[in-house]
Amino acid sequence: MTVSPTLLLDIVVGGLTTGGIYALVALGLNLQYGLMRVLNVAHGEFLMLGAYLTYALHTGWGVNPLLTLLITGPTAFAVGLALHRLLYARLLEGDAPESIESRSLLLSFGLMFVLQNAALLLWSADLRGYSYLAIPLRWLGTVFPANRVLAAAIALSLGLAFYAYLRISLTGKAVRALMQEPEGARLVGIQTARIHALCFGAGIAMSAVTGSLVSMLFELTPFMGLPYTVTALVVVILGGLGNMLGCLAAGLLLGLVETAGVYLASSDIRLISSYAVLSLILILKPSGLFGR
Amino acid sequence: MAARLAWAALGAALVVAPQALGPYYRSLALAILADVALAVAWAFFSGPTRYLSLATGAFFGAGAYTTAVVMARLPWPLPVLAAAVVAAAMALLVGTLALRLRGPYFAVFTFGLAELAKHTLIWFETSITGTVGRLLLSPPGPVTLYYTVLAVAGLAVTTATTLPRTRWGIALIGIGADEERAETLGVDTTRVKIGVFALSAAFMGAIGGAMAPRWTYLDPQVFNPLVSFQTVIMALLGGPATVAGPILGAVFLGLLSEILLVKFRYFYMLTLGLVLIVVVLALPGGLAGLTRRRRPACDSPRPTL
Repeated sequence: MTVSPTLLLDIVVGGLTTGGIYALVALGLNLQYGLMRVLNVAHGEFLMLGAYLTYALHTGWGVNPLLTLLITGPTAFAVGLALHRLLYARLLEGDAPESIESRSLLLSFGLMFVLQNAALLLWSADLRGYSYLAIPLRWLGTVFPANRVLAAAIALSLGLAFYAYLRISLTGKAVRALMQEPEGARLVGIQTARIHALCFGAGIAMSAVTGSLVSMLFELTPFMGLPYTVTALVVVILGGLGNMLGCLAAGLLLGLVETAGVYLASSDIRLISSYAVLSLILILKPSGLFGR
Repeated sequence: MAARLAWAALGAALVVAPQALGPYYRSLALAILADVALAVAWAFFSGPTRYLSLATGAFFGAGAYTTAVVMARLPWPLPVLAAAVVAAAMALLVGTLALRLRGPYFAVFTFGLAELAKHTLIWFETSITGTVGRLLLSPPGPVTLYYTVLAVAGLAVTTATTLPRTRWGIALIGIGADEERAETLGVDTTRVKIGVFALSAAFMGAIGGAMAPRWTYLDPQVFNPLVSFQTVIMALLGGPATVAGPILGAVFLGLLSEILLVKFRYFYMLTLGLVLIVVVLALPGGLAGLTRRRRPACDSPRPTL
């Protein structure tokens, strides 16, 4: 089959809109892992909760879905601070790095079970959704839904803004210092526990905000989180653990590759391909595409 | 001596149990024995080596699906054997690829395995054979199934008790304490790891195979990540460093799931998650065998392992 310019444009725009969402959700996971060695497999569950919160606010009180970002973000940040204080802070003190990795992984799996099933008890397994800004945008002979373009643009801007914050601000410098040299950072007076709490909260806030954006595009179920966790893992490992810019690039790349696969082959292979890509990268190049 | 008598009495009680018990309690005992076998088989690899494996669901599923495919063609205990062989072969392949990974990478890889196997099987069945799912016609009777599972569980417990006294068992402890040091001392770490991983997978596959006839219809959803988690939680709850630990954990969680799972499914899973969180936070002793990868060189492996 020939790839016409219109099809190519479809794939590029479709891929970038999917990839923008992937990039933001993966950035949150990467922040937690890169800084604390906490592989939070409950990450997608916070996306699910963010989506349900937006759904509830929009359908219950008629709040504009975009405005709910201002609610889901801070709420999730506070929840993240609390979870860090209650669960993770105890693990992060004193233990050897390998010990932290396995134990926090198990802890996150426990959290995933709790959140997913609490959501099932609260909202049942029914599909829920609403329609927002499902207006077609016409450009160069192709058509895109406005909400997808908007969601991806917001996701990417938030990701880039966070990256800039890490580069420029004093707190961001402390975060980067802790990632590079934990001992040295402590020696110059950086408060590890405070930075850990902030980053844990920020990671969860990013996941929940992505959830608010996703709720404008797709229907919600309590099971929607895990596929995003897997995708975020693929992106993080693709971009290199702890590498924020690599993570944004890898998110866009994965979105493009997946969209091309769906257009050119079939949509059945999407799930197989993300697990297969994950396995292959783990085996062949665990340091990521952009790693040393 | 007293411990040996207790084991013998327990064994005898389990052998006569199907005659004494009604169908409900026999079925409950069967489910718990299967859990015991899974938890013990998981612990004799992951306990000493400290490789956190989440592949149990994949091996269990591979065994169950194998039985479903070959059951019509082979007389009864043979499908279970076939299930064990298929699971072990899968473990050899996966182990060769994945046992070079450490820490969370290995855990994530093995977690993905059950999903990868499930989706690949769905794709294969829909596009090549044209059917998703298998009917299991004329399954063996419940008493036969009970003795099959009892035999597999007994073998798993025997393996777990004798393994630490063999050269491979000692090598496993060495790998868990410090893999590089073990290698320097002349242990063929790759062979030992993959070999015991495959042995443990064979038991998981056999249990999958033996439990498959309990469902009359089987589809690729039998590759269930929940099986992996339940197994890990059972073993960690009891303490993976001993043989009695996973058995106790399996019995406790087996009874809990019997009480909660049918009536309050989501509530059961929620409880399972809470148990896991509490175990990780409050029982680091039970976890010590898995989590502390590298210990100081002067610290010899603890005899409890």
